[in-house]
Amino acid sequence: MSYLFTILSPTDTPLYTHEFGTSRSSGDGIPRFSAAERALNPFILHSSLDIVEEVQWGPSSTSGSAPMYLKHIDKYQYNYISCWITGANVRFLLLTRPRDEALGLTSGGAGVAGGSKGSLAGGRGALGGAAGLYNPTNPATEEAVKNFFVDVYEVWVKTVMNPFFRVGNGDVVKSPVFRARVAAAAKKFL
Amino acid sequence: MTPMQDAAPKPPNYPANLEASMILPKQRGSPASSLASLPYRRSNPSLHKLFESTASLSGSRPSSGTATPTPSTVPGSVFSPGSRQNGAGTPTSLPPGVSDEHRSLIQRAFVPHVAVLADTETEDMLRGKGLDGGFLQLLRPFGEQVPGKVTIRDSVGASKSWEDFGVRFVGVHDGLGLPTAPPARSPDLRIDTTNGQREEVRSGSTSNLQRRTGGDVAQIEGLVDRHLQYSEFNAHGMVSDYLTHNEAQMQPESTSSPFHTLYLRRLLSGLPVVPHETFAHPVASVIAVSSRTPQPIQEFSRLYKRQREGDLRLPPWVESDYLRYYVLIHDEETCDIAKSNQTFDAMKRHFGLNCHLLRLKSQQCIPSDDDSVRLPTCEWMSAAEELSEIHKRETADDISDPTPYLPDSDLTALRTFVRELVAQSLVPQMERNVHTWNEQVLARRRGISGRFMSLSKRWTGGFTSRTSSSPSSTSSNSNYDSIQGSYRPDAPEALMRKLADYCFMLRDYKLALSTYDILRTDFNNDKAWRHYAGAAEMAALSALISTGPLTSKTRTENIDGWIEAASYSYTDRQRSAAPYYALRTLALSLELLRLRGSSAADDAARWSSRIVEMGLVGTIGGALFTERVAACYSIRPGIGSMKLGGRRRKAALWSVMAAEKWYSVDKAMQAERCLDAALRLYTPPPSLSMSASAGTADTALLDPHAHVPLPFPEMQGFITDLRKRILALRLSMRAYEGRDDDADGAEGDLDAEVEVEEATETLDRSPRAHRKSLIGVGGAPPMNLDIGPLSPRSERREREGEGGDRFE
Repeated sequence: MSYLFTILSPTDTPLYTHEFGTSRSSGDGIPRFSAAERALNPFILHSSLDIVEEVQWGPSSTSGSAPMYLKHIDKYQYNYISCWITGANVRFLLLTRPRDEALGLTSGGAGVAGGSKGSLAGGRGALGGAAGLYNPTNPATEEAVKNFFVDVYEVWVKTVMNPFFRVGNGDVVKSPVFRARVAAAAKKFL
Repeated sequence: MTPMQDAAPKPPNYPANLEASMILPKQRGSPASSLASLPYRRSNPSLHKLFESTASLSGSRPSSGTATPTPSTVPGSVFSPGSRQNGAGTPTSLPPGVSDEHRSLIQRAFVPHVAVLADTETEDMLRGKGLDGGFLQLLRPFGEQVPGKVTIRDSVGASKSWEDFGVRFVGVHDGLGLPTAPPARSPDLRIDTTNGQREEVRSGSTSNLQRRTGGDVAQIEGLVDRHLQYSEFNAHGMVSDYLTHNEAQMQPESTSSPFHTLYLRRLLSGLPVVPHETFAHPVASVIAVSSRTPQPIQEFSRLYKRQREGDLRLPPWVESDYLRYYVLIHDEETCDIAKSNQTFDAMKRHFGLNCHLLRLKSQQCIPSDDDSVRLPTCEWMSAAEELSEIHKRETADDISDPTPYLPDSDLTALRTFVRELVAQSLVPQMERNVHTWNEQVLARRRGISGRFMSLSKRWTGGFTSRTSSSPSSTSSNSNYDSIQGSYRPDAPEALMRKLADYCFMLRDYKLALSTYDILRTDFNNDKAWRHYAGAAEMAALSALISTGPLTSKTRTENIDGWIEAASYSYTDRQRSAAPYYALRTLALSLELLRLRGSSAADDAARWSSRIVEMGLVGTIGGALFTERVAACYSIRPGIGSMKLGGRRRKAALWSVMAAEKWYSVDKAMQAERCLDAALRLYTPPPSLSMSASAGTADTALLDPHAHVPLPFPEMQGFITDLRKRILALRLSMRAYEGRDDDADGAEGDLDAEVEVEEATETLDRSPRAHRKSLIGVGGAPPMNLDIGPLSPRSERREREGEGGDRFE
């Protein structure tokens, strides 16, 4: 699986971007985005902000206070987006691109319309029936993403408490320590 | 040179067309290009007529939406979004920037079909008038819109008048693809309603056997591709001139492109005659006999017999007992009116009221005659037909317009005839049928005994299917013939389907919906899957097309399920694959959902992306429907002053995707249009833009003149790159145009040009088959895109249009 983690300011400018692969199940932590996917990723992240805002301001699904962790909120083709929102309206977005095997795309060429699956809709096998392979709303997945976000949030709060970091002006995060911490959290949980 | 000026569609195009008219039309084999093996004859006025439906740019759209959702004055808290406009809007209260055109398009697509049958004398006479297609060709354009209002009484007795009611005149065997072979056995992806056997079935009365059957997605794609090519190659200049400048700027992206409308129209043209729906089954038949025939009454009976049980009979699952309308065609020039009147009186005695005396002139009419009128173009021809027409005109030697002209009196006579046929015979007949079936079939099925019957049938059916192992044997008391995949025409299910279809055609959507809903369960019990899909499709459409309000609950609970079921059953590989119908279901319901605005637009976008994902369409359709997703998202307005819950960014994403898809099929103009739309969407609305452009470190890296600062530098880079590539593609197109101008005088330079062309193609990363040479651009090096501007005005335009990207 490949991940793209981005912190977006309230005015939609990216403050920090980190791309990594999974470290679970003997993953090497290297992202496997193809060139086309890599070019498209920012667009996907940006477009999911529409959904973020809707979830954020929409009727709350949980009782009591609004949650910071919005869970899996959006999907574009096989890219799943999870979101964490801070008190200052800074958005953490995590884009997950499962490997093709995890989507059932490579098995028997069912991804091509005309596989041996029941319907003409080649993509539907992966959408509906074979969704057990990768499911973004799986509790384990949600929990892992949440732990990752919690760790990153902690580091983020420390960063924005730095008096020389003018977060309101859209300063990008350049600190190598921050990057190292995020990488560590990614390695630990994802 | 050629009389061009009358073919110019609108004044602003004048310079471009004038220039085009200076080119001698000449057959020219373009080297190394598959596309240009078809000769391009851009100066052919008759060809231009064919492309008129899409050639007029959308500057003339009736309703102009705005690019970004208008600053609506929706009062209400930010915290309660969606509660007010939950997709419950009715099409009568359209959201801003949405036009009703697709709804009326769908209404006008499902109209009664009238079979046309004429005797040989009539055909001969009309061929003498220059109508190769005979009586059918003469009638077809007039059925598309019945002049005047047509008043229809619905099942509860309320009358309503429609301006745009029409009928479809078809040949006796049009639309018959493969009537006998069970569609369940055909495993191919292709639509299985067209095959070769039609040609032999048709009686050889017409010479040009165009295939008037639609339903082939590949052909529709091909046709739209031709239209796109035409518009690409006829685009005037890189930059808009003074006159069209503003028009191009103000083009609202939320209205659909003319190509999408064309796609839909062709999708709905020439509906095939199939067992699972009766839209294409003839509701009536016009039998025409010329007054030159020695014994007209006998000729009428002969034709009637041929149609009823002779060689012109339709397959057994089509009801053969429909309205016959007898027309005596009086030849004004050679026949005596007194004699014709006598015959007509005899006809009335024989056949009753459904008769008409049509007086036509047999003389051929030429355009320069006093009161000659051009035969109107048929709006609803099938894709195959239009393709062959385009091909015919491109390869024809003379450049004159082959469309026949008619004297004005003929036109009036035909209009009166069609009006009388529809308003006095056809519609009352359909109303009567609806009434009868409603009382005799539907009421019985709905009543307590009907429910009990269907219930008991379900139980016994369940038992038999459990005991019998063979899947083809259905329960004995089911009317469904699973071998043929059809019902007998007098079975209650078939009659109810017919009733529902009649209601749909007569625009009584309420009764149609309830009938389709009953049919759905019946077909489901009978395991008649294609019928089931058809009923679900039409149930969804009739629920969506009616103007009444629709709660979001019904929408998500029922209609989504119906659309889903229909598209699934239509594409089910094991049972029967009919991707054409699945595409129709999705494409139509997405348009209707979109009209309801707000959260229904979300669903519309979902179905639209489903079309692309399922691979129901080819490359052209893929690009069109990707564009459609963007259009669906972009009409969804935000709520409150912050525009929360809007889908601006989603729309922008899909616009960019569409731009890339258009680019990959070499449609530079469309790609550019989509990209412009995307950039407009990325521009934050004024209320949000206060600090967005405050120079962050990232945006500072970009061009300081950037008109639209995109949030991600990667995005900006991607868009700049795409813009460059599109520009290069467009330049190469234009160069092709320019070369034509040179080539008139300098055919000898062709060799040199070919060399240059190869050289430029190697510079390309992905050389395309029909990439044209760049020599016409005044020798500008191909990769240096800094072309000398044509005028200061155009330079400014270029800079604006590209968001200030500097390409050097």
